[in-house]
Amino acid sequence: MRMNMYLRRNWHLYILLVLPLAYFFLFKYGPMYGVQIAFKDFNFFQGISGSKWIGFDAFKEVFQNQDFFDALRNTILLNFLDLLVSFPAPLILAIMIYELKTSWFKKMAQTVLYIPHFISWVIIGGIVLQVFGTQSGFINNVLSGFGIGEIPFLTDKKYWLITYLTVGVWQSAGWGTILYLAALTGINKELFEAAEVDGANRFKRILHISLPGLKTTIATLLIINLGNMISIGFDRPFIIGNVAVRDYSDVLSTFVYRIGMESGQITLATAVGLFQALVGLVFLLGANYASKKLADESIL
Amino acid sequence: MSERASNRAIDTANVIFVIITMLLCLAPFIHIIAISLSANRPIMSGEVSFYPIELTFEAYSKVFSDMSMIRSLGFTVLLTVLTTVLSMVMTIAVAYPLSKKELKGRKIFMLIIVITMFFTGGMIPEYILIRDFHLLDKMWALVLPGLISPFYMIILISFFNNIPKSLEEAADIDGSSHIGTLFRIILPLSLPVMATLSLFYAVGRWNGFQDALMYITNPELYPLQLKLYQMIQQNQVHDLMQMEGMTAATVLPESLKAASVVFSTLPILIVYPWLQRYFISGVMVGAVKG
Amino acid sequence: MERNRFAKMARLGVAVTLISTVFVTACSSNNASPNAEGGNAATKPSSLKVELFDRGNTPAGYTITNSYLTNLVKERFGKPSNIDVQFVPVPRSEEIQKLNVLMASGTEVPDIVFTYDSGTFNRYAEQGGLTELTELIDEYGPNLKKFLGEDTLAYGSYNGEQFAVPGRRLVLGKYASYVRQDWLDKLGLPAPQNTEQLYETLKAFKEKDPGSTGGKVIPFGMTIASAQYESLLWSFIEPMTQEQRYTLTQQLGSNDFPALLPGFKNALQYMNKLYNEGLISKDFGLDKDKKQLWEDVQSGRVGFYSEDAGELYFTQNNTYKNLQTNVAGAVMTPLDAFANSEGKFAKPTYAPNGLYVMIPKSSKHAVEAIKYLDWMASGTNLFDIQFGVEGENFTLVDGVPIVKPDAAQAAIDKIYNFGDFAVIVNGKFAGDDKKNTDAYIAQTPAEYQADMRKSVEISNTDPITPVRFDHPIAAEAKYGNGLADKFQEFIVKATMVKTEQFESTYAAMMKDYMASGGQAILDERTAAYKEMSSK
Repeated sequence: MRMNMYLRRNWHLYILLVLPLAYFFLFKYGPMYGVQIAFKDFNFFQGISGSKWIGFDAFKEVFQNQDFFDALRNTILLNFLDLLVSFPAPLILAIMIYELKTSWFKKMAQTVLYIPHFISWVIIGGIVLQVFGTQSGFINNVLSGFGIGEIPFLTDKKYWLITYLTVGVWQSAGWGTILYLAALTGINKELFEAAEVDGANRFKRILHISLPGLKTTIATLLIINLGNMISIGFDRPFIIGNVAVRDYSDVLSTFVYRIGMESGQITLATAVGLFQALVGLVFLLGANYASKKLADESIL
Repeated sequence: MSERASNRAIDTANVIFVIITMLLCLAPFIHIIAISLSANRPIMSGEVSFYPIELTFEAYSKVFSDMSMIRSLGFTVLLTVLTTVLSMVMTIAVAYPLSKKELKGRKIFMLIIVITMFFTGGMIPEYILIRDFHLLDKMWALVLPGLISPFYMIILISFFNNIPKSLEEAADIDGSSHIGTLFRIILPLSLPVMATLSLFYAVGRWNGFQDALMYITNPELYPLQLKLYQMIQQNQVHDLMQMEGMTAATVLPESLKAASVVFSTLPILIVYPWLQRYFISGVMVGAVKG
Repeated sequence: MERNRFAKMARLGVAVTLISTVFVTACSSNNASPNAEGGNAATKPSSLKVELFDRGNTPAGYTITNSYLTNLVKERFGKPSNIDVQFVPVPRSEEIQKLNVLMASGTEVPDIVFTYDSGTFNRYAEQGGLTELTELIDEYGPNLKKFLGEDTLAYGSYNGEQFAVPGRRLVLGKYASYVRQDWLDKLGLPAPQNTEQLYETLKAFKEKDPGSTGGKVIPFGMTIASAQYESLLWSFIEPMTQEQRYTLTQQLGSNDFPALLPGFKNALQYMNKLYNEGLISKDFGLDKDKKQLWEDVQSGRVGFYSEDAGELYFTQNNTYKNLQTNVAGAVMTPLDAFANSEGKFAKPTYAPNGLYVMIPKSSKHAVEAIKYLDWMASGTNLFDIQFGVEGENFTLVDGVPIVKPDAAQAAIDKIYNFGDFAVIVNGKFAGDDKKNTDAYIAQTPAEYQADMRKSVEISNTDPITPVRFDHPIAAEAKYGNGLADKFQEFIVKATMVKTEQFESTYAAMMKDYMASGGQAILDERTAAYKEMSSK
């Protein structure tokens, strides 16, 4: 009886879910039998079902590979640094844009700040060389004008980390502001007006109104970022990285590219992918749980 | 220092900082434009920085006289609009029910969807799926597989959750159905985030080409970015050209690549300010009161 | 008002989704029918699908699958043989990924596929995915067989079975070195002949800066591409026994790598010395596509460098021309600067094969495929694909096709991707070896052809040819790509490290190299050599 009531009240909601769930089952779960490649000696011509089972051999091979652990360490290192630097950057920038008084300038600033997001990594790679190069790079040219010696931004491991982070912030911070700005516009204007009447200064207003208004968005993005702690995009480390700093720039995505795409060892690549997926899911659920306990924010 | 003076000082500092950041973001694009307007020699000798040297419009006249580029642009616009509309409708359809904490089975549905953020079947099974659906070499192969992004869905849910429950309850008392509440209360209050997600979907589709690399062989269905990617990648395989005995083959001049970059980036930069009004002015207050 | 319109829009959106989903399903179920309708002709033409690299350089007016050359093939091969030829574009930069996927799909793969990657060829052959071609070639490919010759054909065999038609490579020489002759003349220096003399020359360039670059001089232009350092490395390699050559060489990808050969350490030490004295491009480890090097050469900063023979003369980069425009009086001369301990200018050359052209086992058109390749090898077909139309694209001088420097753009566009059609050959085939060389040289502007000829000669002097076992080395297929990367890292780190840290860096890198597969390859090669010599 109660169930009946519930359904009569809510059947709309289930109808809405039908198409999206069908989509996930068809297009996402449909090909998911592919994960068994990790446990098979994959042969292109026998197909997945025709290839021989090899149990956990591929995982054993991966876990015996020193390069894998280096790549794993670097992935976590770079992601962690990004979390410290690239994660707060768009938040700060968004607040600064929001605080701008002139409307046309505000709009123009946004449009311009998004531009880096639209430039492909191959092109960025060329520009990075021109800006950060040791011999003829723009920055080093300026520095040498002041009599400061060359700084190996791209070939010294420590400096390279700084370059990597800088380029990351430059490329993504503007684009990252969008969500925060959308959330800021959702904050009731009256709150700001009331604060002004109360004589709260700028920073107090940001601290007590803007930031709390962004809490959910920040938590959501943070949880998802934590879920992606051991997966990393291919382009940035690959393009900005180079052989001189491979100790830091070889990450799981470039590692998988090398063994999977270039050497055709699909089985190993799939095994690494499966490992990343499992850890990622655990991290996400853990972060979600922690966030729920600590800040009463959760995404699931 | 008085309150007002300190406020003005902060404003000025803020404006200066934003201007510097803007310049940093603009510089590379200006560099690309300068290259697109320069002759080959100064480009190859590394002389071009922020203004064209030996000015020429040849690259642009080539891009605009190339019908396949124009057609590709048209196709990409169509593809982007279609993908964005379908993706938004589907994302709303899944996010709204899942934003209801009291929905039975919500956790299961969420888990089913979140798992797909991490586990994928891989390139080969996905290709075979598209083939079995007879979607190879069809526009739908570029639309359907990426229809819903779980990430954007989660964002939308969190924005839906942020809408004061009192508004929904008021509607409930009025006897409105869920669908009615969605259209009358939730969506109008969510315009900023919907504009944002539309932009994300649109830009994702506009910039994406990896799926087309795999699923499309008909040149008429090449998205613009695929053409661009192939042009730009020419550099990367250049070392192979010698090995391939292709030394005398046609190599695209850098200026043409740069002009194509400009050609394919401008449309989405132009569309942007139009979308902007949805997340610059506060929609919320007016909508609630009205 | 506003709200109402929005609700309408949104409902419309839902409707569109529903309708389009239905539409898609309808579409897909209808899809099988159109194929059945076309077969009313008297004799049904058979079909042939051929892979074609798409480099994104298709000129306006053509598409990759509808150009002068696709039509030429359809007209001259397809029609007379009643074969419907279709071209399947594959993006050049994603070639191997796409080929893997196509192969795995079984149904979508073209009847003729190809790759330069020997690892990919070996993998397909080993996994049993390719058609054995010996009988097919004997029966349907007499011209093809004659054109390629036994030597080249041998490169397409895997454990004794012919699983590929290897393209025939015409230009085997790889590298030459170049020096700023005007700088040498200004300083009254001779052309350097070996690494010791080269060191003195580079030092003089650095100290005296004959080009007045204001301290920006780069005595030795370097990148991380093999063309820039291979000549140098191999000149340090000591004379070897045949056993050493077979067991210590490491073939990664299609090139032989000298990491374990005697003398390799000395080569790195030399590079380390040059680098620490500021004689080598500082950022060479970043310069993957040679862009920076070319820029430096063209702006007159580079005194000496090694490169693919003749690269600077070709018009696509216009390196030399631009240098002479930028720096009046600049003269770049080709030379052989790396004599080894025996006084020979030993340097690597290419193996005589190019692409591996393969026919998947799933193909039902293997006969047509061989017929197509045979057609290409017969008559003037190959010539017409590669050189275009006489009078428009080229003129014949003493039987040698000379590309017209003033050819109309429309004519050039016709054959813009000739190399990707002519899969059975690597380089332009003009008739015989001498004509090929002449035609190759004639591709450069007239004023540079003497230097071009010299460059080609240098690249063929004292060649080191790749060593080959009669079967592939499994460890090389497995570790090849990773090790090739490690090798680059080896060179960059050993070169850039402070001189006092060279020994420890070298030892650490060598250990890493061996652990990452170098040892496995060495063991397998040693075993293979034993087996080979006991036969």
